[in-house]
Amino acid sequence: MPRQDTHPRLTPRRSMHASIVLLFASISLAIGTSKARANEPRVSFVNDVVPIITKAGCNAGPCHAKAGGGQKGFQLSLLGFEPGEDYEFLMIDGRGRRLSLTRPEASLLLAKAAGKVPHGGGVRLAESSDGYRTLQAWIAQGAEFDGATAPALAKLELTPQKATLKPGESVAIKAIAHYADGSRRDVTGRALFESNDSAMAEVTGEGGVKVSDIPGRVSVMVRYQGKVAVFAAAVPMGAKVENLPPEKNFVDKAVFGNLKELGIPPSPVSDDATFLRRSALDIAGRLPTEEESRAFLADKSPDKRDRWIDTLLASTDYADFFAAKWTAVLKNRRDDASDLLSNFAFHAWVRDSLLANKPYDQFVRELLAATGTVVGNPPVAWYKRVKEPKNQIEDVAQLFLGVRMQCAQCHHHPFERWSQDDYYSLAAFFSQVGRKPSATRGEDLIFHKRGQATATNIKTGAALKPAALGDKMPEITPDEDPRLKLADWMKSPENPFFARALVNRYWKHFFGRGLIEPEDDIRDSNPPSNPELLAALEKHFVASGFDLKDLVRTIARSSAYQLSAIPNAHNLGDRQNYSRYYPRRLGAEVMLDAIDVLAGTRTEFANLPPGTRAVALPDNSYNVSSPFLRVFGRPEGESVCECERVQSSSLAQSLHLINAGDIRGKLAAPTGRAETLAKSDKPAEEKIREIYMVAFSREPKPDEMAAAKAYLSEKRTTAAGQPIDPQRAARENFQDIVWALINSKEFLFNH
Amino acid sequence: MRAGSRPKPANFARRAACAASYALAALALDAASVSAQSVGLPAPRLLTTMPMGGKAGTEVEVRITGEHLEEAGELSFSDPRLTATAKTGMDGKPVPNVFVVKIAADCPPGIYEARVMTRLGISSTRIFSVGTLDEVVETKPNATVADALEMKIGSVANGVIADRSVDHLKFQAKKGQKLVIDCAAKGIDSKLTPTLILADEKGRDLVVDRSAGFLAFDVPADGTYLVKIHDLTFKGGVAIFYRLALQESKPGETVARQPGTAAVNAFSWPPQGLAAKSVLAEADPEDPAGKPQKVTLPLDVSGRFFPAADVDEYEFEAKKGEVWWVEVASDRLGRPTDASVLVQKVTKAKGGDGKEIETRTDVVELADVPSPVKVSSNGYAYDGPVYDAGTADPMGKIEIKEDGTYRLRITDLFGGTRRDPDNVYRLIVRKASPDFALVGWAIHMELRNGDRNALSKPLALRGGSTMALEVVAFRRDGFDGPIELALEGLPEGVTATGLKIAAGQSRGMVLVTAKEDAPRGFARAKFVGRAEIAGEKVERAGRLASVSWPIPDSWGEIPNPRLVADVPVSVSGFDKSTITVAPVTQKIEAKAGEKLTVPLKITRRSEFSGASFPVKAIGAGFERVPGFEIPLNADKAEAVVDLKALNLPPGDHLLSFIGGAVAKYRHRPDLVTAAEAEVKKAKDELAAASAEAKTTAEAAKVASLETMSQANMAAAAAVQRENRAKEALPKAEAALKQATDAAQPRDIADIVVVEPIAIHIQPAEKK
Repeated sequence: MPRQDTHPRLTPRRSMHASIVLLFASISLAIGTSKARANEPRVSFVNDVVPIITKAGCNAGPCHAKAGGGQKGFQLSLLGFEPGEDYEFLMIDGRGRRLSLTRPEASLLLAKAAGKVPHGGGVRLAESSDGYRTLQAWIAQGAEFDGATAPALAKLELTPQKATLKPGESVAIKAIAHYADGSRRDVTGRALFESNDSAMAEVTGEGGVKVSDIPGRVSVMVRYQGKVAVFAAAVPMGAKVENLPPEKNFVDKAVFGNLKELGIPPSPVSDDATFLRRSALDIAGRLPTEEESRAFLADKSPDKRDRWIDTLLASTDYADFFAAKWTAVLKNRRDDASDLLSNFAFHAWVRDSLLANKPYDQFVRELLAATGTVVGNPPVAWYKRVKEPKNQIEDVAQLFLGVRMQCAQCHHHPFERWSQDDYYSLAAFFSQVGRKPSATRGEDLIFHKRGQATATNIKTGAALKPAALGDKMPEITPDEDPRLKLADWMKSPENPFFARALVNRYWKHFFGRGLIEPEDDIRDSNPPSNPELLAALEKHFVASGFDLKDLVRTIARSSAYQLSAIPNAHNLGDRQNYSRYYPRRLGAEVMLDAIDVLAGTRTEFANLPPGTRAVALPDNSYNVSSPFLRVFGRPEGESVCECERVQSSSLAQSLHLINAGDIRGKLAAPTGRAETLAKSDKPAEEKIREIYMVAFSREPKPDEMAAAKAYLSEKRTTAAGQPIDPQRAARENFQDIVWALINSKEFLFNH
Repeated sequence: MRAGSRPKPANFARRAACAASYALAALALDAASVSAQSVGLPAPRLLTTMPMGGKAGTEVEVRITGEHLEEAGELSFSDPRLTATAKTGMDGKPVPNVFVVKIAADCPPGIYEARVMTRLGISSTRIFSVGTLDEVVETKPNATVADALEMKIGSVANGVIADRSVDHLKFQAKKGQKLVIDCAAKGIDSKLTPTLILADEKGRDLVVDRSAGFLAFDVPADGTYLVKIHDLTFKGGVAIFYRLALQESKPGETVARQPGTAAVNAFSWPPQGLAAKSVLAEADPEDPAGKPQKVTLPLDVSGRFFPAADVDEYEFEAKKGEVWWVEVASDRLGRPTDASVLVQKVTKAKGGDGKEIETRTDVVELADVPSPVKVSSNGYAYDGPVYDAGTADPMGKIEIKEDGTYRLRITDLFGGTRRDPDNVYRLIVRKASPDFALVGWAIHMELRNGDRNALSKPLALRGGSTMALEVVAFRRDGFDGPIELALEGLPEGVTATGLKIAAGQSRGMVLVTAKEDAPRGFARAKFVGRAEIAGEKVERAGRLASVSWPIPDSWGEIPNPRLVADVPVSVSGFDKSTITVAPVTQKIEAKAGEKLTVPLKITRRSEFSGASFPVKAIGAGFERVPGFEIPLNADKAEAVVDLKALNLPPGDHLLSFIGGAVAKYRHRPDLVTAAEAEVKKAKDELAAASAEAKTTAEAAKVASLETMSQANMAAAAAVQRENRAKEALPKAEAALKQATDAAQPRDIADIVVVEPIAIHIQPAEKK
């Protein structure tokens, strides 16, 4: 039985089983050989059969690779990552009915795949297909397992690897497999093709790619037998790019360089009022105050925008706003009343860290390697909510490295290089987290438990030492907390993930779209839309000592960030090259605060001082009492993904803004703006200017002023035609104007 | 309801559930007989003083609040250099609950226990601080920048924070000043978890601290600055108070933190006779993993867990057969650390390339010392004491198996990312020095009920009652002999009996009994343990622990136990115990092996729920006596003790029984009688005044011209008197109603301890 030792993936549990399989294989080989189809090329199980099954989708997650038995008792390894197991499944399981060596076409495998017998998955391989014929030939040749002898796939190569295409143009990509023995083979027909943006490019057939008329960059991921290659297409618009805004820093150089290459002319830099409002909303999560707006608009100095950014960054509003962003993805959830203290402490720790501009690497280190009590060391609270090492590494990888490791817990990551060993080696960093009960129910003290850190690969049973995404770690002694070593590895300037994940996340915060999308799915097969820019941001961030405020400052000072949202003749279709500002609806908390500011009211929140703003709320518990926050998609802190925050619009949101009780209450508040203005004896024009300045940071336009004045002086009567008391009429008129502004796009969107 | 499971939020539901499922473990109450709603009879508790301290050499007006402080009399302190007199009002009468506290000039800065003597006896304690700085006291709300309380650098502000509110303090500072802001909160019995914010004049945050109660600030420019202070979760109310010290730190000076109370586990530190300061200091306190420091044993070294992930190593030579004892203090010094000690043997050998190879072999790893008795879990039921006599400080022995070089490595398992130079430790390596330390606390009922009010329990005895202190020993360096317990220097009519901690055991009790007719009294007692160690008699003072606040609902709050500076014992002189169970004869002679019947006398002074209540035996050697029921409808009972089954040796033994019963407690029925008398008096007065008014009115009608004026005046005066009497009657009736309502019987579960029984066992006659 020489083959027994050659399949490295056979688990001890399966070894007996495997012996039987291999015995069968030997017998079948004998039968096959006796039939001696000498002229026919040998079909390889590993390099032919498995790719065909994969291409046909048989071993996709929802089909026969479904965890816990596949479909109808027929199990396959996901995407063919375990050919040895697949062979067992085909040959032994199902009482050998799946393969008939004497009558290959009667094999259940072929009969089901071709739809000759009822098959829940439909016809996967037509009888006339190359794939069908190849499988048939393999069975006829004796259904041999060639795991030991088949040349290993070394590389997948695409030709072409990149192309510049005209809108609407198509291209045919060839996929070439390179094997360890030096052989090559065209596998275009058996490889899987997938576009990263189906609006920009679609895969039309075997290797065919057609781009749409949206300018920009798009890629097609090609997978074959665990290897991934990427075809990158640039679709230039070809318009003339001139009169570029001034290059303020390296961000502009990279953004405008890309736009020139693609021939997309950017919109001009926005006016002061737009910049003021946009930057306040993006950096501090609030509207500029009326005084700030007037002062900024009146300021004639050339550096006023830079100074304004610094003012925002120095404010507690910046810390509150970004703390809201971070605490949601760090799962600061209230599941029990006793979570109150730890949630407040954790939120405050994040907020204070941002206020003090704690270097990002230090912030992550304190979180990763937290020990002690929640009050003494609040990041310990993270360990209260994320209890299992596997959840810890999955969250850490996705949040701080932009890598999704979840798949690799049970099988090799389908699009990535991550294996189960990588997964459990990462988990090993968290294997020495000790817990002691505290006086608070559900809350543990966290300490470093002395001992050799290892985690067990559930498949191989191997006890793995800590290793970070393929990087070997220096020896970690039992006395050392492995989490500190993980933090050391993260902040190393050579780390390809840590800085990249953060700058990409922050870029998305300011531009609405990450350079890599989704922002927490960084992989070779998901290339950035502007690699030069991403690399430059990364380098800058590392060189700055992981300075978050500096990163925000660098981004916000760039002309690219300050571009107008109004499209020009060419860039309306651009969604990924930042040729203009992409308007976004205000987030739930920011919007609620903005409405309160405009209405001159405040929202009360439990356990917090009156006047606390919604962006400063420490956890998700306030969503329960605030229908507004729920409707507008404030996250519940259930996921590390920022996508949990709902940024889309809905009918419920519109109805809420138009007529919900809380909005009506704010408009009619006795100390609110409408009431105050109605009582004030200032001239009407001044009052209208105030409302516009608060809502939009600008003066009303002449037509807006005229319309508002006309509305205010309209005669109002009851349904019965009786004139309404002038004080009441004034109050209601102002309420109407405030209401109208709240419901305007200019108010609801950051633009 | 499952133990530890969360009850429904509504109080009535919880109470109903509790009433239905009362389950006592140690003091098991008969489930059928119980419908209790609260735990523990009323006890006097001093909860707040305002201000919370004062400057030495001054007089401070202090206002107190608390529970059951009726007829609050003398305010006293744990140090005679603090004295108080009731404040006299404009009318010459004492102002209720206001005292003038005189702090002697020679009173050292520190914390002191304040207590007030009430009708029910001495109250629970509240910390009163004495300092050397000027004091500022908050007198009006300061929740906004505009209302900020002004203070000067070099002073202490006393404040109380309102709910969902932030206190503002304002001061002037000069550029270049190094300021330290230190907020005393938990250490002075406050429930505040302070957040300190140093802000600019407009209230914009500059520096924030939320975990240490301490801020350092370098003043960037001359001007006005603010300190904002609030609770981490914005709690407020009378329990959320603070003393905030604002000081300048001069170059080369360290400003000491304000003193605070010690956690319970600090009772076991320091060992007897340890020098105040260690002999040796850590060689390179700044180096996270410095070279091993060469030392010789014995060792007494001070070091710091600093910077983050600090590793300190001490290298020493030792000989085969030596036994060394290691003890670390850091947690017990009040530091938030979790020290760990690893001892390794170091061997060096030449490798193949001629280079020296060092190998280390683990000898022993020392970590936490667990509590000698099971500590209450953090669930709803009370299932053990809340007092943790264990510590995160390591202790244990090193047995040297061969001559050689050894290294002791000390790290903080909580210290991976924290950089706090105040996280100090003291490491002792010594030859065996067997000893013990004691801590005691008033025992609480183990039962499924969230009412933890009674955890805050002063030793305020009612006539005829016996209170039990649970005592736990921390044994050092292999000492396992018996420890006798005593409480001495008691008020008149009070006796204490120590139920010893048996050899090898950790738990004993002290029973404190007030005679039924014990006069009102108060004394600071001495709590000691005595044992024989290596042939010598030693005596060690024990510490008392208590919980700072009564906790009505354990779901809402975590108890904060601490050590108390003294051991005050008092007798009410007014209130009597609801029930007294005492042996008919104090001392019983018995023969070894006999079955003993102990007659008990029961005196009830209240109605009770149920027909009987269960008790179990306490006292060394008697633990296995089967529990039995004491009737609540008879005046005698019998306990049966099978000396043969217990296999007790001849000699003197102490036996008692402890259990819990539910009294239908009536609060101050005497006030009802008094109020009834007042009502009667008011009625009589009204009748008399009405009659007089009538008579004088008639007289005025028939009066002559000469007497008319006088008669009219008399009639008017009588009407006035009648009107006053009419007003007085409803007041008296309202007072009666109030007294009657208060005296309505309420179900209160409480501990019942049988007065101790001395049993002298004579050797069995030899046959």
